[in-house]
Parts: sequence; C-alpha cells; structure tokens
Amino acid sequence: MSWKFLNKKPLSEERKYQVILAPVITEKATMGSENNQVTFKVATDATKPEIKAAVESLFDVKVKSVNTLNQQGKVKRFRGHIGQRNGFKKAVVTLEAGQTIDATAGV
Amino acid sequence: MQINETKNEGLSREYTVTVSASDIDARVDTRLQEVGKTINLPGFRKGKVPLTILRQRFGKSVMGEVLEAAVNESSSEVVSKNELRPAMQPKIEIESFDEGKDLVFKMGVECMPEIKEMDFASIELTKYKAKIEESEVDEALERIAKDFRKSEPVAKARKAKEGDVVVIDFKGSVDGVEFPGGAGEGHNLELGSGQFIPGFEEQLVGAKPGDSLEVNVTFPEEYHAEDLKGKAAVFAVDVKELREYVETAIDDELAKNLGLDDLDQLKSNISERLEADYDQFARNRTKRQLLDALQEGHDFEVPAGMVEQEFDSIWKQFEQAKEAGQLDEDDASKDEDELKAEYREIAVRRVMLGLLLSEIGTKNNIQVAQDDLNKAIMNEARKYSGQEMQVMQYYQQNPEAMASLQAPIFEDKVVDFLVEMAKVTEEEISVEELVKDPDEAESKPAKKAKAKKAAKKATSKKSASKKSSAKKAAAKK
Repeated sequence: MSWKFLNKKPLSEERKYQVILAPVITEKATMGSENNQVTFKVATDATKPEIKAAVESLFDVKVKSVNTLNQQGKVKRFRGHIGQRNGFKKAVVTLEAGQTIDATAGV
Repeated sequence: MQINETKNEGLSREYTVTVSASDIDARVDTRLQEVGKTINLPGFRKGKVPLTILRQRFGKSVMGEVLEAAVNESSSEVVSKNELRPAMQPKIEIESFDEGKDLVFKMGVECMPEIKEMDFASIELTKYKAKIEESEVDEALERIAKDFRKSEPVAKARKAKEGDVVVIDFKGSVDGVEFPGGAGEGHNLELGSGQFIPGFEEQLVGAKPGDSLEVNVTFPEEYHAEDLKGKAAVFAVDVKELREYVETAIDDELAKNLGLDDLDQLKSNISERLEADYDQFARNRTKRQLLDALQEGHDFEVPAGMVEQEFDSIWKQFEQAKEAGQLDEDDASKDEDELKAEYREIAVRRVMLGLLLSEIGTKNNIQVAQDDLNKAIMNEARKYSGQEMQVMQYYQQNPEAMASLQAPIFEDKVVDFLVEMAKVTEEEISVEELVKDPDEAESKPAKKAKAKKAAKKATSKKSASKKSSAKKAAAKK
C-alpha cells in the first residue's frame, strides 16, 4: 500500500491555489486543446492527485487524467559565474469528454 | 446591410444603417488573420498564433478598426446607392454596438444642390478701362524728380529762408549740461521740414553762413527721451553753409539717371505701370459685377452645414477683430443679433458663389496647371525678398499651402472663362471713378464678402481665412 492511498485528506482552499500556478500558453499547449487537454504550470512538489483535485474544484470540471513533467532550469553563466534558473513542473490535464476550461481567462 | 431613409428634406438626408453582427465578425476574423501573420507572441512562432488566442488578445483593438472601416464603407455605399452628392463629410452617429450585436448607426448627409446654370451669355458686364490722364503721368514724373533733386550751395550770400537747407554744427545742453545725442556736425537740415524739435528750425530762419547763434527751445512733453521731456534746452549752432534745392528738370537726363534711354521711355514706363495698377482695379470691379450677376441668376438651396461652417469662421474673425479693437465703425454701432444676421447673409453668399464657381469650373473642365501654380509661388516668393528660397521650399513641402494658392487661381480662371462668355461692353472711365468703390455706401459687408469668397472652393475650405486676407491686401494695392 503506497502512501498516496493513505493521504486522503481533501485539499485545503489555500493549497489549491498553491498547486496551480499558471496556464501554459504556447503552440504546443494549444495543440493539446484538440484532445481536450489543458496545460498548467504547477508547484514542483504537487502530485497528480493534488493537481486533479485542484483543477476539478477550481474550474468545476471532471478530470480524466493528469500527466506531469519536470522542466529543469537552464544553467546560465552571468559574469563568469555559473547560475541555475528555476525549473518548474508542468501538468497536462486531460478532461473528460465535453468539459472545457478557458485556460487564458484566469480563475 | 440595411439602409433606411429616415429623413429627406430639401438637401439634408438621414439614414439609419444596420450592419449585421455576423458580417462584422467575419470582417474581424479576416483582419485578425492578416494581423496574426506579423504578430510576435511569446510561446508561438511568428504567424502560428491560433485564431482563438488572437481573438482574445487583439479582438478589441481590431474591432475598433473594423468598425471604423465598416462605417466608412457602408456610408460610402449609402452615398453611391442613393446617388447622393455630399457637400460635406457625412455626420455619423453610432447608435448601438456591442460585441455579437448588430451595428446600427445614423448618418446625416447634406447634398450638393442641383445647380442649374444660367445662360452665361446673357450676363452683361462692363469692362472698365481707366483713362490714364496726361496729368497723372506728369504728377508721377514730378514725384520722381523730387526724389532726385539736389541741393546746391546758394550762389549769393543771403539770409536763410524756409525751404533752404542749412548745414550746421550744433551742441545742445540742458541747464548748462550737455546731453547725449544733443550734438551734431555738418548736419543737413531742411528748414520747415519739421525734422527737429518745434521751434528749432524757425529760429534758424534768417541766419547767414558763418553765423553762430544760440537757439532756445523746449522739448515737447511727448518727447521720446524720458529725461528731456518738457525741459528747456539751449543749442549752440554754427551755420556753416546755406544750400537750396534745385528743381530737377524733367528731361532725358533724369531718365538716364534712372537707367532708361530717354524721357519718352520713362513716360511710357510710368503709364504702363499705372495702367497695370488700374487694370487690377478694373478687373476686380468686373469680377464683382459678374459675381453679383451670378448670384442673381441662380437660385438654389445652399447646404446649411456649409453655411454654418462659413459663418463660424467669419464670426471667429469678427470676434478676433473685436478683441483687437479693430472693428469697422458701422459694425461697432450695431448690436450682435443684427451683425449675426448680416454675417450669415454673407456666409450664404460666399458658399453659394463658391459652390457655383467650383461647379462651373469642373463642368467646363477648368484646371489649374502646374505652370500657373509655379507662377503664383514665384509671385508669393517675390514678396519676401531675401527669403525666396525658403518660401519656395515651404510651398514645395506643404501641399496644403499649395492648395491655398490653387484656389484663387482656379477662381480667376473660372472668372476669365465666364467673362469670355458674357456680353462685355467696354467703357472708359476716369481713374477716380474706377478707384471709388462702386457701392461704398450701400453695403460694406458685401465688399468683404467679395474679398473673401475667393477662398470658398470645395477643395480647400480650410485655408479660407488666410487667403481672404491676402486677397484684401491685393485689392488695396
């Protein structure tokens, strides 16, 4: 039994907004809209169930599945010093058929 | 697109135009697609931004653009469909518009009146020709001679009299103290010319060369130097020489001095110049007659909007004149309503004649050639000697200024054209009669109207006021 089945506490209102950071509006992301997919930038420590719960309650939709990926920050040099940009986590949320989110409209 | 005529009175028409929402949406989309090809949006390659996103981001601004275009397009369609000839820019009032709803706007147009041209051949004009009197040429000659007169030392020693020139050294002092600018040496003073302080010249009458005398004078109260006003001054004057003017004989010598061959040439030059001057007067008078005849011979409704515009500009000028305190005497005595009525009449006349002239001009294919324009620019440039180049450049760079020149030329050409058609009788009149304003007493405003109506050409209404002043100036010359 893994830990995620134990953690059944509902998301707090605050946590929902912490999980979902921003919609991703790019060519690739809009391509997903044809498959009823919406892409968000999410907190790096957010889990798929968390994202699912947050999206469902914030946008009032049914979520079919969530795929996530971690985008590493680029290594950049500035004045000879090596620096690391912040990475972020992206979540591609597939909605149930018939559901839509206007990703660009904001919450 | 639906067009409803809501008003049709005289020259004014009003329409209510409805453009359907789907029409506008389609326009917006095509416009967005066009714009989308050049837009850079982060996250998208150039030209790959999806329409939905474009609509969200740029829909509003494109909408404004599209609305304007739609209004313009449909209003011009209204004009062409109803075969209107608008006299001015149509007045457009948007009644309702919301996204996804129909666009409804009201459009008010003032039509050009239907002008039925009168038979120009029936106009009777008098072409005046000034008779240049011999005496006038002589007068001019005398004036020239006077400018060239010389003074010569008086042969016999005698006392100075009025009209003589004394060469003097003088030193002035107030209360025994010399003041700056109060001294001079070898000054040529014509007695009786009023060059010096009153009293000074009179006291020198009777002086002889070699005399030294003291002149006591009082500076006038309105003297320009503050500290000398009303002060009594003493001038020590040495009379050096006494000269008198010698009349220049009007002969070939004088002509040669002026760079001409002989007296006859000078005379003919003078009379030519006089003739040219009076020709201008004569022309103006004939034109005036013509315009009066035109006004009488035509009767059409004048677009109220244009009259209003013209009236406003006249009134503005009037107000300015009022503020500057340069009112005509007979204007000052009238009250505002009276003046307004009067000026409105002028405005109607100007608009009417302006429309008429431009109509005649276009119907008869009268055009202002580049040559004429160049000539006008040269003339204009000549007025500002030393800055010709700048003036020319100014006109080359400002098409609007160019247009303002064009209007009077166009008008002149139309007038010439009409004069040719009309029955013209020539009449020789004396110069005084010519110069006299034909109806000075009758109506001053009418004169103004004439001076200004030149401006009223369809193509360049804006420059109306400017030109009028130029015209007035020209008339005065």
